[in-house]
Amino acid sequence: MKLSLMQENLARGLQVVGRAVSSRATLPVLSNVLLRTEDAGLKLTTTNLEIGITSWVPGKIDTDGALTVPARLFADIVNSLPPGERVDLETDGADSLRIRSGRFRAHIKGIDAEEFPAIPAAGERPTTRVSQKVLKAALGEVAFAAASDESRPILTGVLTRFAGDRMTLAAADNYRIAVKTIDIMDPVEERALVVPARSYTELARILADTDDPVDVVLAPAKNQVLFHVDGIDLITRLVDGQFPNYQQVLPAGHSTRAVVDREDLLKATRLSALIASSSANVVKLTVPPEGGSTVAVSANAEIGDNEGEIEATVEGEGTSIAFNARFLTEVLQNVDRDQLALEFNGALSPGVFRPVGDPDYVHVIMPVRTAS
Amino acid sequence: MGGRGSEPMSTEGAGTGRGAGGHPGEPPVRVARAPTILHVDLDAFFAAVEQRDRPELRGRPVVVGGAAGPESRGVVSAASYEARAFGIHSAMPIRTAMALCPVAVFLPVDGRRYVLASREVMAILGRFTPVVEPISIDEAFLDVAGSEALFGPPESIAAAIKLAIRAEVGLTASVGVATTKLVAKIASDLRKPDGLVVVRPGEEAAFLAPLPISRLWGVGEKTRLALADFGVRTIGDLAAVPPDALRRRFGEHGAQLAERARGVDSSPVESPQDAKSISHEHTFDVDTSDREEIERTLLGLSEGVAARLRAAGLRAGTVAVKVRDSEFATHTRQRSLPEPTDLAGPIWRTSVELARPLLRGIRVRLLGVAARNLREPLQLALFTGEAERERRAVEAIDAIRKRFGPRAVTRARLLQGGVPEPFERDPDRRPGARGAGDPQA
Repeated sequence: MKLSLMQENLARGLQVVGRAVSSRATLPVLSNVLLRTEDAGLKLTTTNLEIGITSWVPGKIDTDGALTVPARLFADIVNSLPPGERVDLETDGADSLRIRSGRFRAHIKGIDAEEFPAIPAAGERPTTRVSQKVLKAALGEVAFAAASDESRPILTGVLTRFAGDRMTLAAADNYRIAVKTIDIMDPVEERALVVPARSYTELARILADTDDPVDVVLAPAKNQVLFHVDGIDLITRLVDGQFPNYQQVLPAGHSTRAVVDREDLLKATRLSALIASSSANVVKLTVPPEGGSTVAVSANAEIGDNEGEIEATVEGEGTSIAFNARFLTEVLQNVDRDQLALEFNGALSPGVFRPVGDPDYVHVIMPVRTAS
Repeated sequence: MGGRGSEPMSTEGAGTGRGAGGHPGEPPVRVARAPTILHVDLDAFFAAVEQRDRPELRGRPVVVGGAAGPESRGVVSAASYEARAFGIHSAMPIRTAMALCPVAVFLPVDGRRYVLASREVMAILGRFTPVVEPISIDEAFLDVAGSEALFGPPESIAAAIKLAIRAEVGLTASVGVATTKLVAKIASDLRKPDGLVVVRPGEEAAFLAPLPISRLWGVGEKTRLALADFGVRTIGDLAAVPPDALRRRFGEHGAQLAERARGVDSSPVESPQDAKSISHEHTFDVDTSDREEIERTLLGLSEGVAARLRAAGLRAGTVAVKVRDSEFATHTRQRSLPEPTDLAGPIWRTSVELARPLLRGIRVRLLGVAARNLREPLQLALFTGEAERERRAVEAIDAIRKRFGPRAVTRARLLQGGVPEPFERDPDRRPGARGAGDPQA
């Protein structure tokens, strides 16, 4: 293998695939990036066996070939080279790589490309396409709600359900749930899969703020899904198991509704969290009966207490409900609208958060039971 | 006294497993200070409540405990002073008591009325200082430092407390006033009933010296006999033994004895609000090694701890058991739970496992179950499983008990043995963290 690339193209490609490199790899080759010449450039591939990312970098090929080299070291070297310079790569035997750029030369040891796991490529026709911008925003509103601990593996995934020309994303961690439905460009037969939330977080980084589509390929293998944007493939394994029936826990009605400014509520919650975080991190929302014009956000702990008021439009009964401040903060940070409707059904029933003007998103947080 | 009474237990801070008494590691240097620690002890408590409520019993020997009858295998929980004149004392088999005084009135234990009276008394104590540490159903420590400006010197406060308990609850109490819990407790016991004994600062050792060593915490029958080998009969004798000799003979316990003999006790009065744990303890009328009785008692204690966790909206991350043997040697073990809980089941199972290795070859005097590492109020879950159904059942039971009394629903296993209601430190007040959303907080 012998080829030349521009430093900035190679550096960008390595940055994209770097996210899938295992930090604590059981197989040494998983710490490496696979370099393989393909068409008119270099294909970079990394995997941690859950997710695989491939990026194509344009370049001038002299001879074809393939090799894996330590991903972190290779990226660090390339990043340190001056931008705008040409980088020459050449294999030296079966398992080492020579790097030349201007007056700089390096030689790093790698592992034979044959040892790298096979990663399926997009190749096939996409199952459907989704606006990158729309999917990126939806993932931002949903993926954070997935469970981070592995005690219920299914909850570390995001339910991804296709039906007709709509796609529903749902994530839950047993205390909260976020659901968003978006349009897709090509209708799909009804189908549901559970994608690891970590994979979606990586996908969101790769997606651009553009209406250009991302291809979704459900075909390659039953237990995988592949996303393709220009020059980049992301393939992820799916989470096995049955996602809990979340529709069952979405409240059907409410006895209290308050419309508030998202930013106001976020600020008041953060202020209360300063007190709340000293103990159980619980903040309380107090909504007055219909006609009231403020919602109180308060915390009460050994170290002290506080209360803030924000403007609100209230309908229905007055109520008081307590939440973990982290769950509250996270939904307020991640929802992409200025106004939020809070819908409650007393202190012990799920609290519902709906962005005003977006009927396709709902977020539910289970309250914290405080002393009766 | 109800039952045999219980030993002073400090309300334990998180993670510390110390038993009664002082910190052995601390130097016995104490700045002389005002005697602001009071020990208030109700006189012949159970029997006194019965005599209060049934005037015809006043002046007569009254014995409370077990099931009466010549075949009874129960023991005396409390004896009125009239009954004590016949030689009846608590922990004595009912049969023996009946033989000593056939004309005495024998009554079963009516825990509910005693708990009510106890709460009234504790409420009175709380008027004089916020620092009240109830240590059993009928006794409490108070630290009145800072209350003098309102209520006068400690002995006046002690007199006012006695007066208030008599006027408002209709019971008599004995009070000891001293600079330490250790001395205050011994002082309250000295002139029962209706006594008031003040030990001035600097006079602790002299006050203790003539008393028999059995009055000291931590001196059981074995220790008493072992000390007799040293020629020690009084606390003064004990104070004269070089601490090193005691340490060599009794180890760490010896070092504690040496301090206590001089009246040194650095443990502060701790009110339950400061508690970083919730614990229930039970002192057996008669020391036991019966496995069934021990497990049943642990179940009763676990139920009590769990109910208070739920009332406080907290969950326990750690369960601890305390086992005290007939020699007053106290052992504690604790274990973290895989998942914090406020249910009796997991607390009980853990406490039984923890207690098992501590029970070998001993007779148990006292058992305690503590919930520690108290966690946030309960975060409700979206996808409810088995645990949530159990919770709902338990909550329904809590509601029934609240309305119809603590015995309205009970575990079948607790029916057979007549385990007394676990002593509640202060069932209506939340310990520790006040959570947001608590309407009372």
